[in-house]
Amino acid sequence: MPEVQLRIENLRKTFHPGLFERAVEVLKGLNLEVERGEIFGFLGPNGAGKTTTIKAITGLVNLDEGEISIGGHAHDSMEAKRLIGFMAENPYLYTYLSGREYLRFSARLLGIEDAEIDDRVEGALGQVSMDRRADQKMRVFSKGMLQRIALAQALLGEPALLILDEPMSGLDPIGRRDVRDIILAQKDQGVTVFFSSHIIPDVETVCDRVATVIDGSVSEIGAVRDLLAREVERYEVTFTGLDPKVLTTPLVSAQMGSDAAWVRVDAGQRDALISELARQRARLVSLTPVRSTLEDLLLRQYEEGAAS
Amino acid sequence: MKRVWVTLLVVALLLAGTVVAERALQRVERPDPLGRKLLYLPSADMLRLASLGNAGLTADILYLWSIQYYAQYGLNDRFLYLETVFDLITDLDPLYHDAYRVGALIIQLPNTDEEIHKKAVIRLFDKALRNMPGNHEIAEAAAWDMYIRYRDMANALRYLKVAAEIPGSPHRLKRFLGAWSEDEEGWSFENSISYWVEVRETAKTDYDRAVCEKQIYRLVASRDEDLLNPVLEDWTARYGRCPDRWESLVEAGWLGAVPVDYFGQSYRILPESCSAMATESVRFD
Amino acid sequence: MTAIRIIAANTFREALRDRILYLFLGFSIVLLASSKLFGILTVGEQDKIIKDMGLAGIQFFLMLIAVMMSVLLISREIDSKTVYYILAKPVRRWQFLLGKYVGLLATVLVNLFLMSVMLVLFVWLYGGGFDPRLFLATSMIGLEMAVLVAFATLFSVLTKPILGSVFTLAVFVVGHVSQDLWLLTRHLPGSVGRTLVSLLYYVVPNLERFNFKTEVVHQLPIPAAAIGLSLVYGLVFTALLLVLACLKFEGKDLQ
Repeated sequence: MPEVQLRIENLRKTFHPGLFERAVEVLKGLNLEVERGEIFGFLGPNGAGKTTTIKAITGLVNLDEGEISIGGHAHDSMEAKRLIGFMAENPYLYTYLSGREYLRFSARLLGIEDAEIDDRVEGALGQVSMDRRADQKMRVFSKGMLQRIALAQALLGEPALLILDEPMSGLDPIGRRDVRDIILAQKDQGVTVFFSSHIIPDVETVCDRVATVIDGSVSEIGAVRDLLAREVERYEVTFTGLDPKVLTTPLVSAQMGSDAAWVRVDAGQRDALISELARQRARLVSLTPVRSTLEDLLLRQYEEGAAS
Repeated sequence: MKRVWVTLLVVALLLAGTVVAERALQRVERPDPLGRKLLYLPSADMLRLASLGNAGLTADILYLWSIQYYAQYGLNDRFLYLETVFDLITDLDPLYHDAYRVGALIIQLPNTDEEIHKKAVIRLFDKALRNMPGNHEIAEAAAWDMYIRYRDMANALRYLKVAAEIPGSPHRLKRFLGAWSEDEEGWSFENSISYWVEVRETAKTDYDRAVCEKQIYRLVASRDEDLLNPVLEDWTARYGRCPDRWESLVEAGWLGAVPVDYFGQSYRILPESCSAMATESVRFD
Repeated sequence: MTAIRIIAANTFREALRDRILYLFLGFSIVLLASSKLFGILTVGEQDKIIKDMGLAGIQFFLMLIAVMMSVLLISREIDSKTVYYILAKPVRRWQFLLGKYVGLLATVLVNLFLMSVMLVLFVWLYGGGFDPRLFLATSMIGLEMAVLVAFATLFSVLTKPILGSVFTLAVFVVGHVSQDLWLLTRHLPGSVGRTLVSLLYYVVPNLERFNFKTEVVHQLPIPAAAIGLSLVYGLVFTALLLVLACLKFEGKDLQ
């Protein structure tokens, strides 16, 4: 039975913006468990509650209802805080300090012994490839450089659980690759990684398991492979000479171009569509099977959620 | 490059414009006939509130301003609100010695309403002594002002008495009091002598004591001369000439003993005027 | 406790690197030096004016430093979310707040010390002799600032930076005015005005209790009880404000 590193039970949170504004219920009973040593992805559209969940885990917002435990400890205990390394969506760093100064400050707050601080700081800087620029004031850093320092301070305490909120946002492709490599390297060392992201290809390729959050609660949870396997195979059909609007076969999506149209259809409807196109004397240009992606899964869930 | 020069030129012209306007405004007459600036002085309470705990500094600033204001010539009605201003300053800082002293001096400057201004001076000094009862300097200053400026001996003596009685005040105050009181209040010799004896007791230095002794000597001598001269007159009338020694009068039974002065030395008899004279002449060193 | 020390040290370092601090320090030096000019203008004793201006200047500039620095160091930290990475670490919320307060107060007190030394030097230089009691007056100003900075800390947790600094400034004004206002209203007929002013008087600290300028300038005796009780008053008020700030901060959602 794999150990649970992070457990969230029935997490509820409502925000009260002001005197004359209505309360907003952001988290409506969110549940999930992250096992030790896995890379867990957290997906969802804007406003689904991803960042709020992460803020709840790190103690930045208070819970209305529910429980969060980290490594068996209550999430707001000092033991739990010692287990996590957190990186926020934006680099909220003291830009009047240099990278090295900030990391040394963070190291002291983490309770790292003075003798060890230099090694840890240099190690973290090395991991994010910032050792050469670490003595400049961060005021002059680009966003990418700031995010690297932010990641460094998350790694500084050699955490058991890394919590990353959109770690790849604002980075160039090289930066994104580096972060991906760091995440994989951490997993090799037995660190559990929990991160939210919009960049679905990154989640697909890196994560062991994924949870999709729609409208304040978890919609789907499971291994990427398993989730996608449940997805129905689809076909993309391109043709000319007919406006897709007149088709009676149920379509997943349809688009009209200047001289051609292309539609997507479930596997079961493929043959019916081909027949209809033939009957309507449309000219078939291509027929391609479409591999379902996580993005499609997400969109489908979102549309279903919006419809209900 | 041309844009830079044009910008600089525009800025310079605007600056010059403001300077020209300011200088033109300076030449425009804006008379302040009623000391209007003073009319709208707020009350001490308001100023204290506004000073946020810096009443002393506010008093200083007002005091500085008032000195500069009253030093200007050409404002003939500027003395209208003198007392108001210094009342305000001393309400803000009741222990402001200079404001009382200099304020009183300014109020005393020559003016058309001597009586009214003198009353204001007295009010200011009385306020000073109420708020600073141990301040002998202000009391002495008041006494001198009353004496020199107004020849008001009654008030001068009043202030001098207050000054002299303040513990720790200079000894000379008691001495001045003695000298002035003698003249003004017509003390008898006995009163004077007993006063000076008292004052001598409070003397701390040899100099102070010596001055008291001289006063006592002088008074004793004057008293004795007043007593002895009629005796000499009678003798001259009786015997046709002035006696040349006191012993003659003693032998004749006119005097009990040879009269001696305060220091125990015998008086002289001046043959020309046939009068008694003390051997030490009194000088006020 | 070490968390408080670490955060305080960092806050102090941040304050020293902020140029506004040197601006205010510079202005206060200019004021002290120019007080001699005003001394020259007067008829009579120059010392009084130099001391009055010096003490008032110190109080004013320290108040500005306290108000502006509090906004910069605490409100800005919450507003710009740099506090996220601090609170995600094993640091309790009250430790963070107290650490900021101590760092801020240390900055104010260091400035106070510098300005006091300069004032005593200037008074000495300008012929007023060596007056160590000036340090007493400035120390009490320091206590006043401790209370003011505690207010700024509380406001920074309650509201936005600009409002926080305005409210702290308001506390400074009301704190100095409330005692006189209270005395004035004793004579007012209506009871509504009097109750309002009384309420204000007790809720807002009476900052005049820390004002010993008159006694020091006029060299009057100061009863030990006045100093002792003022110390207690200031410390108790500060503790109260900090407790309230910590309580509010515990329950605050950082969005």
